[in-house]
Amino acid sequence: MAQQGAELDRELGGRLAAAAHEGEGHAAGEHAHEWETSPWPLTISVGILLALPLAFAFRFVYGQPLLAVIMLGLGTPLIVAGVVGWVREGLGAHELGLSPAAMPWFILAEALIFLTLFASYWVMRLGAPEWPPAGTVDLPRLVPLAMTAILVSSSFTIHAAEARLAEGRHGAFLRWLALTMVLGTVFVLLSAFEWRELIHEGFTPATNAYSTAFFSITGFHAAHVIVGLGAFVALLLPALRGRVSEPFVKSASMYWHFVDVVWLFVVSQVYFW
Amino acid sequence: MGATLRSWLFTTDHKRVGILYLIGSLAAFAIAGVMAMLMRIELTNIGPDITDNPQDYNVWLYFHGAAMILGFQIPALTGFLANYCVPLMIGARDVAFPRLNALSVWLFWAGIVLALATFVIPDPPDVMWTGYPPYATMTWGNTAFYSFTVLLLGFSSILGGVNFLTTVAYMRAPGMGWNQLNVFVWSIVVAFIIQLIFVPVLGTAVTMLLFDKYLGTTFFQPANGGDVLIYQNLFWFYSHPAVYVILLPFLGITYEIVATFARNRVFNYKMVVYGGFGGVLLLAGEVWVHHLYTAGVPDWLRVGQMVTTLLISVPVGLLMIGLVGTLYRGSIEYRTPMLYALGVLFFFLIGGLTGIPNAIASLDLHLQDTYFIPGHFHYVMAVAGTFAIFGAVYYLFPKMTGRMYRERTGKLGFWLTFIGMNLVFMPMMIAGIEGMPRRYYDYAQFPQVEGMQQLMTVGAFVILAGALVTLWNWLHGALRGEPAPANPWGSRSLEWTAAPSPPPPGNFPVPPRLEPGWSPYAYGERA
Repeated sequence: MAQQGAELDRELGGRLAAAAHEGEGHAAGEHAHEWETSPWPLTISVGILLALPLAFAFRFVYGQPLLAVIMLGLGTPLIVAGVVGWVREGLGAHELGLSPAAMPWFILAEALIFLTLFASYWVMRLGAPEWPPAGTVDLPRLVPLAMTAILVSSSFTIHAAEARLAEGRHGAFLRWLALTMVLGTVFVLLSAFEWRELIHEGFTPATNAYSTAFFSITGFHAAHVIVGLGAFVALLLPALRGRVSEPFVKSASMYWHFVDVVWLFVVSQVYFW
Repeated sequence: MGATLRSWLFTTDHKRVGILYLIGSLAAFAIAGVMAMLMRIELTNIGPDITDNPQDYNVWLYFHGAAMILGFQIPALTGFLANYCVPLMIGARDVAFPRLNALSVWLFWAGIVLALATFVIPDPPDVMWTGYPPYATMTWGNTAFYSFTVLLLGFSSILGGVNFLTTVAYMRAPGMGWNQLNVFVWSIVVAFIIQLIFVPVLGTAVTMLLFDKYLGTTFFQPANGGDVLIYQNLFWFYSHPAVYVILLPFLGITYEIVATFARNRVFNYKMVVYGGFGGVLLLAGEVWVHHLYTAGVPDWLRVGQMVTTLLISVPVGLLMIGLVGTLYRGSIEYRTPMLYALGVLFFFLIGGLTGIPNAIASLDLHLQDTYFIPGHFHYVMAVAGTFAIFGAVYYLFPKMTGRMYRERTGKLGFWLTFIGMNLVFMPMMIAGIEGMPRRYYDYAQFPQVEGMQQLMTVGAFVILAGALVTLWNWLHGALRGEPAPANPWGSRSLEWTAAPSPPPPGNFPVPPRLEPGWSPYAYGERA
């Protein structure tokens, strides 16, 4: 058996040597024979470590707000720089364009986050002796309806942007993308405005089970809208100089549709039930 | 030197990312092992041995569990092994998203840094690896670092899952069909689907814990409309499937080792992949309540989940049959990786069989929270998984380093760890049946188990000796070993037949082209 192994090795050695000769020509282009590197993944990770766990712990566990601000001040620029550098590299030649195939898996994971929050809310709500629990204020009806209209229409505008890009109409693509970003921003501002009003009326995350669920679910959702807007900024800035990655546009738009669909659950479960 | 360091820190190559995962997870293993030694020494005699502060014991217990599962086993299997093997086995030059892959490994390292901070911060976390409220929301310990460690490692896993599922779907060598994939590649696919579904649940649960403790929300505060059982359910809804995230890749790599050293096809490949892995995937999310038999859940749920728990031993049994069938009439060569693979079979069999009484709710009421439970899960997951990882490191050693380890030293390390593990965990199960509760810092009420406790401590030192021998063998082999040929084992899998040791950037000097009917297990008819 050892002998058989040695034969295999000789055979392989021969093949590899032959390949090295003939390979120069046709494979040299696609096989760069150097270790590929990128400084941005490490940069982003260090930024996340500083800006999330360390800043949070200094502020809430150890009562050192100054150190928390310093951590945020160090971490956030690292994250931003990392994302900028990453996007620049991503628009380069090596892109395989597989991100639209990967995005559904990421959305599956994201959907489970919201399902977990909704399940916890359902358990608390269905197990409660009375609902709404003491301390609940009247939630606004008109604002969430307006927010729904805004977010749903933003799904159509990003779809329009995608379609214009496919037709090669770059200017129209930019305009629809910008409109989507305006709608998303208005949505986040309305959400912030509503939170401020509610907290002002004494309905805070610590009030009762309803407020806990309300702020967590709407907060998680708003955070996702902000991440989507961030992705759009990362699309828009290079696109203004004519550099667009079509697969990236497609993935970002998929994510945006997902955030939109989740909002329909938020509105029906948290506001109008 | 500076350039070398840079090329590692900034690397996006899947092999180097894999080795970075290996280094991080072995560091976690070493430190978590030291914690285990401290606990074992403390438990040797009744009364305080090395500390009279039970809080110290809690911190060791926290770090041992959290680091072994989240910092060692999951990253070593779905980080190191998946990264090193999957692109090579499917004939790809890298993963689908190399930079995302590098982000995964550095987020994992950020989690390790945060976990290690346990030893330098005031009020370290003391919530074990479960983080149950109400204790976790009331302790002085830093529960925030527990939550963020889980979140960083979880985010790293999700990105890894997205990456590897896309890689296997789109980057296979031309002509490689789904039924020609290595069993290990299939195990990684299924493990990552499980991760993508269940990790976000744990991530959200520990975030809710964070909110409850530091921002005043009331998810788990019964006085204000919350329910602690929400956390327990969410935690085990992830953490039971997490054992399959560990189990499937460790069985997957064991299949590779066994097929190679038995020079045999995988027995009933489709049964293993679709029945075994597929069956586990279907049932993984419907068994978690067996962790909560004594927590006060309704009977219909306990009985229902007892049935599903017993049912999941069917696909797991198929995986065992496949492994034994691969050995059957093989031409077996007892090299060090093969010894570890057979060790996996041994430990997994005992661990699996001792799991069945735990699945039965009426029996579990007696066994719950005794030493029987840690004895069982160490056999089935902790020890079997660790043996698979050690065996895999030996198996891939020539490929990774281009050098050979020393066979005799490898076997010595194997036998020491093998004997030591049995010395620790067999008495542990017996002490559990005799009533010794788990997680106790002292056991004055249970003098009858003192002899077994001492035997376990002796066993722990035997394991330590075996681990040190193994570590020395790896370091010595990597620096001074004999040069390794491309395919020292005579395997038929692509990582051995088409790539030199160690593989260069881009992996394959010529992109592999597969003959029709190619199989990674084509060992031909035996005489």
